[in-house]
Order: sequence, then structure tokens, then C-alpha cells
Amino acid sequence: MPDSKQAIDVAGYAAAVRAALTPLPEAERESLLEDLEDHLAEVASESDVPLQERLGKPEDYAAELRLAYAGPGATTTRRRLLRDTVRSLISSMSGTKTYREVRAILPDLRPGWWVLRAYLAVLVLAFLVRDGHNLRPVPNPFSSFGLLQILATAAAIVVSVRLGRRGAPARIGVRWAALAVNVAIALLTVPVLASMSTSHPYADSIIYSSDPYSSAVAAGYYYPGFTNIYPYTKDGKPLKDVLLYDQNGKPLMPAKSGVMTDYPIGADGQPIPNSYPLNQRHPNGDPILPPRVALPPTSAPAASPAPTPTP
Amino acid sequence: MEKGNGSPIDTSQLLKGVLDLAVLAVLAEQDSYGYDVLRRLRDSGLDGVGDASVYGTLRRLYQAGALKSYVVPSDEGPHRKYYGLNDRGRSALDQSAKTWGSFTRALDQLLNGRSTGNAR
Repeated sequence: MPDSKQAIDVAGYAAAVRAALTPLPEAERESLLEDLEDHLAEVASESDVPLQERLGKPEDYAAELRLAYAGPGATTTRRRLLRDTVRSLISSMSGTKTYREVRAILPDLRPGWWVLRAYLAVLVLAFLVRDGHNLRPVPNPFSSFGLLQILATAAAIVVSVRLGRRGAPARIGVRWAALAVNVAIALLTVPVLASMSTSHPYADSIIYSSDPYSSAVAAGYYYPGFTNIYPYTKDGKPLKDVLLYDQNGKPLMPAKSGVMTDYPIGADGQPIPNSYPLNQRHPNGDPILPPRVALPPTSAPAASPAPTPTP
Repeated sequence: MEKGNGSPIDTSQLLKGVLDLAVLAVLAEQDSYGYDVLRRLRDSGLDGVGDASVYGTLRRLYQAGALKSYVVPSDEGPHRKYYGLNDRGRSALDQSAKTWGSFTRALDQLLNGRSTGNAR
């Protein structure tokens, strides 16, 4: 085979091998193929048979090359295949204009992320060690750990920015660890923020309608906070059988408690639940005595000595 | 064959594991360039070894710092990139040779039905 024809054969074969190795990172490919042409020329000079006939298809040659270059431990596993697919996807994507523009902005956003991740780390930490059920935005100067939170946030920002300015860690393992920490902070923030938006500062004291004591009953509502009402006239006379209604016209009924109540029966045979004072007994049957009350002094001289009602 | 169902051993599969050792051994004899390494491997009976495998192995061993490399101009034909062992390559060869030795001894004993514990 004449030299020029051989050279064309070598160049063509080498180009095909190179093309088949595009999924490899640039640097790796170059160090692998550095003297491929020289080597192929050496092979070609031994014989007149075209390279493809002697070495097989360039794609197969490339595959064998990669396997050998990867070492005895490596195999052409699916994982490798996946990695290559992802790489070539990225490389095809990185050609688009949008990608380049976004890519150009990213470095400017870095310091912002350094500050943000520090804050988020403190937030996540505060969430993990929170004493109550609710989490307010951190740092919260009014909380019991306000000062600590402010200091922790400031310290975290300083550390984070210093780490960020130092650049990517040299060791590949450390680099992956750093990436993992960044991703973890970002991911952990999601549930923390979600819990913040739904938590209500008084959530614990709200009595939901599922609570049997506050649920609506047919006749009216049970109102928490009292068990009985003792009405008096302004000159100190205790009243009986006073019917009380709330602003909605519903019968006013006390919260249910351990006491037993004897309701008066109306003409229709139904108990009247809001006739005060209620006639109540302890669970053991003893009547509950009305409380001693101190009525306010009135202008009427006859009523000035505060009476102590005893029904 | 891949399923290990008792088919005859594929030489290329065996070679994969020991090609490093073979290449190092060839270079320990004498510095050499890619195609020459291939030829010498084949001459010593390793027919199944592929050109790309040898070339890729040389590049990897070089990248790993086990080989030195230098270019020798040639009058006829292309420049040749010669490879030779450095200290690291020699110690790698020693290490691998020991491993290979104990491996083959164990396998020989198994195959000869003489693995009766006299090794210990």
C-alpha cells in the first residue's frame, strides 16, 4: 500500500475511533488517544491490508480501547452506559443559547447561595432542636434563643462564605461530600418551610369541632370556660330560671364537666338546657352549693351591705 | 459463557484480568512501543490479545504513573513512543507476579486433585 493511501486509511480510522469515544470527557479522551495515529500508522505499515479488516470496526476498536483504559476492574455495565448517555445529553444541551446564558449567570449567584445555605442550615437546625411545636422564622429576637439564633446565623454565614471562596475541594471524595451537604440543606429546607407555613402560633389552644365538648348539638352550643351561671339582680337578689341565649340566639350551655345536671322539663316534655342557675349535683349525688359572691356596692343605701345569697 | 454454565473458558476473559501483568512483564524485559508490545505478547502465545486492549492498557498504566515514556524518531515510518517500567511499575509487577504465582499454584493443585493441605 502506498504511503499516502496508508495515511488516509490511518486518519480515517483514527477519526472514526475518536468519534466513537465522544461520550468520554475531553481530557480523558485526549490522554487516551494522544498517540493513536502514530500507533495505527505502525500497525498499518506492517501490512497492506486495510486497518478495518485487521482491527475490526472502529466502533469495536473504540469499545475495546475504553475497556482496557478503564482497567481490569471495569466492565461495560449499564451504569457506565447511563453515565455516557447523561454526559452526551448534557453536552448536547450545553450547546443551546439558553444553557449558555443561564450558565453565565450562575457564578454571580454563588455568594448569594453561600449566605442562603448558611441561613437555611441554621433554620433546619433550629427546626430539629425546637422545643415547642411551632417554628418561627429564624433568627427570632423575641424567642428565648433569640441571641443564640442571631449568633449562630452570623457564624454560619461567615463559615459558609469562607468555604465557598476557597473553591471546590481538591479531593474528589471531599467534593462529592460537599455537593451532598449542599443538596441535603436545600432538600431539608422544603419540609421545614412547609411546616412553618401551616403551623399556627395558637394551634394548640384552638378547639376543633371534632372535640366532643365543643361540637354542635341540636339545641345549641356548649361553651367552654364555665359550668354554671348564677344571675343576680343589682340589689343582690338571686334569680332563678333565667333563660340565656348567645349572640346567635342559640341556648347558652356550659362546657360538659363531671357534674350531673337536672334540667327542668318544658311543656313539650323536652329538657330546657339553658335555664340558670342549673341544678347540679356532684357525681356522688351531693348537691353543688352556689358560690359566695361579692356584689358591687350600689347607690341604694338599703343594698349597701353586700348580701351573701344562700338559696 | 457469561452465565458460568460450565462452558470452556474464554481466553479473552482470562486475559482481561492479567493483561496488566503481561504488559508489565514484556516491558520489564525491554522498553518497547505499542505495536511491538502486541507482537511480543502474541509471539509468547497470547494470540487472543487485541490491539486496542494493549494500546489502552499502555495508556492507562502510563496515566497511573507506572510507566515512563519517550519518543524515538524513526527513519522509515512514524515516530515511536516507547514505554518502559519506572520504580512504580517494577513494584507493581513484583506485587502482581506474587499474586499471580499463588493464584496459579492454588489452581494447579485443585486441577491435579492434590489440594490436600500440604501447602500449609
